[in-house]
Amino acid sequence: MELDTATKPAPAPPPTAQEAPAHPLLEAVELVKHFPIKSGLFGRANAVVRAVDGIDFSLYAGETLGIVGESGCGKSTTARVLMNLIKPDSGNVLLNGRAPGTPELSLKDFRAQVQMVFQDSYASLNPRLTVEDSIAYGPTVHGLSSTDAVRRARRLLDRVGLDPRRFAGRYPHELSGGQRQRVNIARALALEPKVIILDEAVSALDKSVEAQVLNLLLDLKDEIGLTYIFISHDLEVVRFIANRVMVMYLGRVAEIGPTDALYTGGRHPYTNALLGSMLSMNPDERTMEAPLAGDPPNPIDPPPGCRFHTRCAMAESVCSAKMPTLTVTGAGHFAACHMVDPTSGHSKAAA
Amino acid sequence: MVQAVATLPIDDVAIERSPGYWVTVWRRFRRDPVAMVALGVILLLILIAILAPYITPHDPYRGATLRRLRPPGTPGHWLGTDELGRDMLSRLIYGARLSLFMGVTPVFLALFIGSAIGITAGYVGGWVNTILMRTIDIIFAFPSVLLAIALSGAMGAGIVNGLISLTVVFIPPIARIAESVTTSVRGLDYVEAARASGAGALSIVRKHVLGNVLGPIFVYGMSLIAVSMILASGLSFLGLGVRPPEPEWGLMLNTLRTALYTQPMLCALPGIMIFITSISFNLLTDGLRSAMDIKA
Repeated sequence: MELDTATKPAPAPPPTAQEAPAHPLLEAVELVKHFPIKSGLFGRANAVVRAVDGIDFSLYAGETLGIVGESGCGKSTTARVLMNLIKPDSGNVLLNGRAPGTPELSLKDFRAQVQMVFQDSYASLNPRLTVEDSIAYGPTVHGLSSTDAVRRARRLLDRVGLDPRRFAGRYPHELSGGQRQRVNIARALALEPKVIILDEAVSALDKSVEAQVLNLLLDLKDEIGLTYIFISHDLEVVRFIANRVMVMYLGRVAEIGPTDALYTGGRHPYTNALLGSMLSMNPDERTMEAPLAGDPPNPIDPPPGCRFHTRCAMAESVCSAKMPTLTVTGAGHFAACHMVDPTSGHSKAAA
Repeated sequence: MVQAVATLPIDDVAIERSPGYWVTVWRRFRRDPVAMVALGVILLLILIAILAPYITPHDPYRGATLRRLRPPGTPGHWLGTDELGRDMLSRLIYGARLSLFMGVTPVFLALFIGSAIGITAGYVGGWVNTILMRTIDIIFAFPSVLLAIALSGAMGAGIVNGLISLTVVFIPPIARIAESVTTSVRGLDYVEAARASGAGALSIVRKHVLGNVLGPIFVYGMSLIAVSMILASGLSFLGLGVRPPEPEWGLMLNTLRTALYTQPMLCALPGIMIFITSISFNLLTDGLRSAMDIKA
């Protein structure tokens, strides 16, 4: 990832334990989403995929929270539950302390404030609508006249770097992947949201286009004062864009903390294994052995205790017996590992 | 943010417009000679049906016992005369009216009802889908010819009852196609994105689902027109659809079959018309389907 680090804006000060704002913008409280696997004549559920299994985090205004993890760890399900595109089995999403779908905050109002950009730039645009119609659709749903909505769409196209004269009347298949993703960003912006969830939004783009889109995202964030949730499997990109990072493993949070602290001193063995898989630009620092072998266990039947103990080099008997909880390890830095919990009984637990 | 750029001079500027989907489809369709010929034949048949009173050389209902079963090529009766001495050409021309009507009407009625059922089932999903589609499956379990005959027989002969029974026969296959296409579109990201923008189900179906499912459903319906014509002819042949003395191709096949051994060419004429029409509809459908299969 050859991004000019000089263009990286000074990150908003990561909220620390001492100066954490009293009210997070968006909160996930004990989110759980299990998918039943139906089979048989009457579609009885005889197993569940524990896609998201008790996730807790807060998102503060103005920050970018990166969510990383292997495929199948529940990143995208988390995004869809946060968007209320799928209902959680239990737990809550709170925007400014209010749950969507209640009298204080209708689902429609919630959705105007939280928007999403999907990974597949082509599938996320209606092939029968012109680019400007796709962008203008959301505002018309929220009561803007179609003339004004089209105007807003053209301005937004201009803002995301696409000349409206050339692109407004085009169809999605006539655009390149990077241009389509700019359209998707414009559509997300059309409702003037506070939070944008970017679900692998740049993962499908080639590296040079990816860098341009990332820089666009940073510019927009500064200008409009947006808050991002940036979901990706690309650790370098997350390091570049995020102020805080959340590491997920098998539907649970393994570690969450400020980007620099987490990348330089991960406290959860899984975090370190993930970081160990990053390629170094320095040939002297290359890794010779695979940091982590095998695939994650099946989320249908996750291992008891700590979900990671089957692949963890430091696992002890306590790890398969007891599920670790998020424990403070530093300023705004939490890890769910028995080794950071002095009371866990793990031999390497910090005393 | 939007206010900040409100003064940009792009509000009322002329934009380049790409040709829409259907314009592109038509351009591709136009390059398919077989499909264009099929379209031409169908348009010609429709024109003939509309202009029937002006182009028929004789009254299709008036026979003459002295001139019965003349072979094609008889002076004054180019295509011969039928078993009651009526001019075959005139009857075939008038027959186009009823046969096309019986072919097209049930399909369009079924397209309307079947799409509504299928799209509802596909978009709503869950138990609504289960109830609607299992009911459709029950109707679908009967062989179509048998169902059409049974319904027409139960309701009595006549054009209207024939239309109703054919419509019922075509609702299940159309509803199934509509359901499967809608289910696949519903799972796409752009429908999710529309839901994420706070839109209601009706708005999403109207703006995002219909435009992407009606094309394939319509093409499928077109392919049923040929089947409908043949079924309608079959009903008439059995005396359940159109009743004599109305000229309809299926009925003409029936009444002429007694002369099969003496005037085989004459008896084949209505069958040839049915064949030409149904194969034209099938070729038109094929052409339309490949023209609509635009790979991005």
